[in-house]
Amino acid sequence: MSIWGAIAGGFVGTLALTTILRGGSELGLTRMDLPFLLGTAFTPDRQRAKAVGYGLHFVAGQLFALLYYAVFAAIDERSWWLGALFGLVHALFAGTALVSILLPLVHPRMGSGQSAADSNPMLEPPGFMLSNYGDSTLAVTVLAHVIYGAIVGGFTSLSG
Amino acid sequence: MFGALLDSARGGRFELQPAVPFATERSYVPDTNVLETTFVTDRGRVRVTDAMTLPAGLAPGRELVRRIEGLSGRVPMRWAVMPRFGYGMRRVRLGRRNGVPVASAGRDAMAICSSGAGEPEASDGRVGATFEAAAGARAQITLSIAHQEPLVFPSRHESDARLDHTIAFWQRWAGARTYDGPWREAVIRSALALKLLVFAPSGAIAAAATTSLPEQVGGERNWDYRFSWVRDSAFTLDALLSLGCAPEAEAFFWWLMHASQLTHPRLQVLYRLGGRASAPERVLDLDGYCGSRPVRVGNGAVRQTQLDIYGDLLQTAWLYARAGHDLDPDIGRRLAEIADLVCAIWRRPDSGIWEVRSEPVHFIHSKMMCWVALDRGAKLARSGHVPDRSLRVWEREAEAMREFIETHGWSEARGSYVRFAGASELDASLLAAVLLDYPEGAEQRLRATMRAIQEELADGALLYRYSGDDGLGGSEGFFITCSFWLVDALARLGQVEEAVEAMEALLAFGNDVGLYAEEVEPGTGRFLGNFPQGLVHLALINAASSIAERVGR
Repeated sequence: MSIWGAIAGGFVGTLALTTILRGGSELGLTRMDLPFLLGTAFTPDRQRAKAVGYGLHFVAGQLFALLYYAVFAAIDERSWWLGALFGLVHALFAGTALVSILLPLVHPRMGSGQSAADSNPMLEPPGFMLSNYGDSTLAVTVLAHVIYGAIVGGFTSLSG
Repeated sequence: MFGALLDSARGGRFELQPAVPFATERSYVPDTNVLETTFVTDRGRVRVTDAMTLPAGLAPGRELVRRIEGLSGRVPMRWAVMPRFGYGMRRVRLGRRNGVPVASAGRDAMAICSSGAGEPEASDGRVGATFEAAAGARAQITLSIAHQEPLVFPSRHESDARLDHTIAFWQRWAGARTYDGPWREAVIRSALALKLLVFAPSGAIAAAATTSLPEQVGGERNWDYRFSWVRDSAFTLDALLSLGCAPEAEAFFWWLMHASQLTHPRLQVLYRLGGRASAPERVLDLDGYCGSRPVRVGNGAVRQTQLDIYGDLLQTAWLYARAGHDLDPDIGRRLAEIADLVCAIWRRPDSGIWEVRSEPVHFIHSKMMCWVALDRGAKLARSGHVPDRSLRVWEREAEAMREFIETHGWSEARGSYVRFAGASELDASLLAAVLLDYPEGAEQRLRATMRAIQEELADGALLYRYSGDDGLGGSEGFFITCSFWLVDALARLGQVEEAVEAMEALLAFGNDVGLYAEEVEPGTGRFLGNFPQGLVHLALINAASSIAERVGR
């Protein structure tokens, strides 16, 4: 098992995850746009936000791949299906806590349940299980993360 | 939680009043959304100041503060809180935490904190007490509300400070509004009411704060307005920009473009305030306001086809861009695709702006708004905000729309545009054509239509919105929005004196604190429909601005 396998898997997995989310958006299934959400934390300019967001998104993809790698190493077990399972857990964590609760609290331009009349947030919060961004958002997000996890697990396992 | 208006037995309530006969005087603390009620009794006077406070420090998720001040004499007071969660459908548990009465149901809870307002007792689903308000004494009752989180028990001092902070915030906000024309007090009150209709987490603006207050007492025209309508968007942005509310305008436009992305390029009539596209309608087992059933939550109009909303969206985008805001290429592409869709669907019948539940027809207002959609699309393209690859098609289709409207939507016999193609009925929504600059060449016909509407749909300054069938039983009252649209149209067509006169008359129909419901009941003058209604307040602001602009020239 090589760390380079996890890094390569993280890169390819993030490509796949981004493509699936973007595809879901074009098909009218979801309004989830992770790079946009990340980028607007740093700039209100939509174009610049997307550029910054894509960079951050790929960095996050690598960090999560390394986290997966650490768990593979800890349990001395790795495979594409174990990666897919991590992806499932990862997606549910994102839907219930990471993106739905934590992100609105730290994002300077996103509303939250605590927003009141003295604020004018420019981004709506995702809501529990990301449902504000479309009823199919959770399904698309889970699919994208399961494939991401499978790719990271597969690359890690193939790397020896 | 407090739905006694819709069911006096099962809906919750919060009563606070003298225990002896009284009269009331109400007003807002100037330039705020903080309400003052003065109770006048034989034994003395008491003032109650109510506010939903803004967060500061470790504040409750939501907090209602009621400050009670004895002004003169000694007045016996009583209060009772009867919370009913989930529209009165969930069982309420009453208990005490650290001596504070707490009502809870599942993931919702409310702490009822009081100070100087007697010793509260909890029993039979209510928490209440009696006390005496003596001149110079102060008491306070605070409701601390939590949803999916632990309750915060605020001290009296903290709640008091938040109330003062809230008053200061609203006065700063109102003072920053740029309107300096006539009827400033009514305009600022409307702006403050609209600000309360903003759903802070997303920037969406609700059509009204209530559901199922009836359009006819005892009737079935009871709708849930706690959603954001695309129909209101152009008037919303116009009003926000004219009041100098750039952050609110920006937040609203972003929300609108985000929410509509899911159904792109089609638009839904309305969206949930959080941005979701579904709003399934269901009926609650409540008696309804004065027996007006059904009580609905959700809104079935979400499934209707309304062509006018495409004009509203593109007008909104045009106003936003014209005010100097950038539209990024992605938004520009989507707006162009929406204009393309209008070219494909404008020949279809629809349910029209008023969401009639009869069979779809070719509403002339809808066709006019389709023309507005393509005209604003073309303007955005020519100014470089949206791609211009379909510009020629939009221009050609806009001309075809005009031909349809002038041929099938104009009645020589009546000397007026009509409600739908081939009809003889009128519709006050046609006034919107004047407000949204339906082409200059149509001015004579628009003026004639306005006169016909005044003759047939008006009673003094108040207008009915249409004549003819709408697929529902019963009748409705005067539609206040259309009445303000008439004022706006009069001003825009140069009849400023008449507009001023009508404006003065309409302002007299506001309630004691300057708020409006959707309709006024003929004969009695009482309000009908949901309250306070955002579209009415938008129309008031825009009518006042139109007059101010012309008086200032």
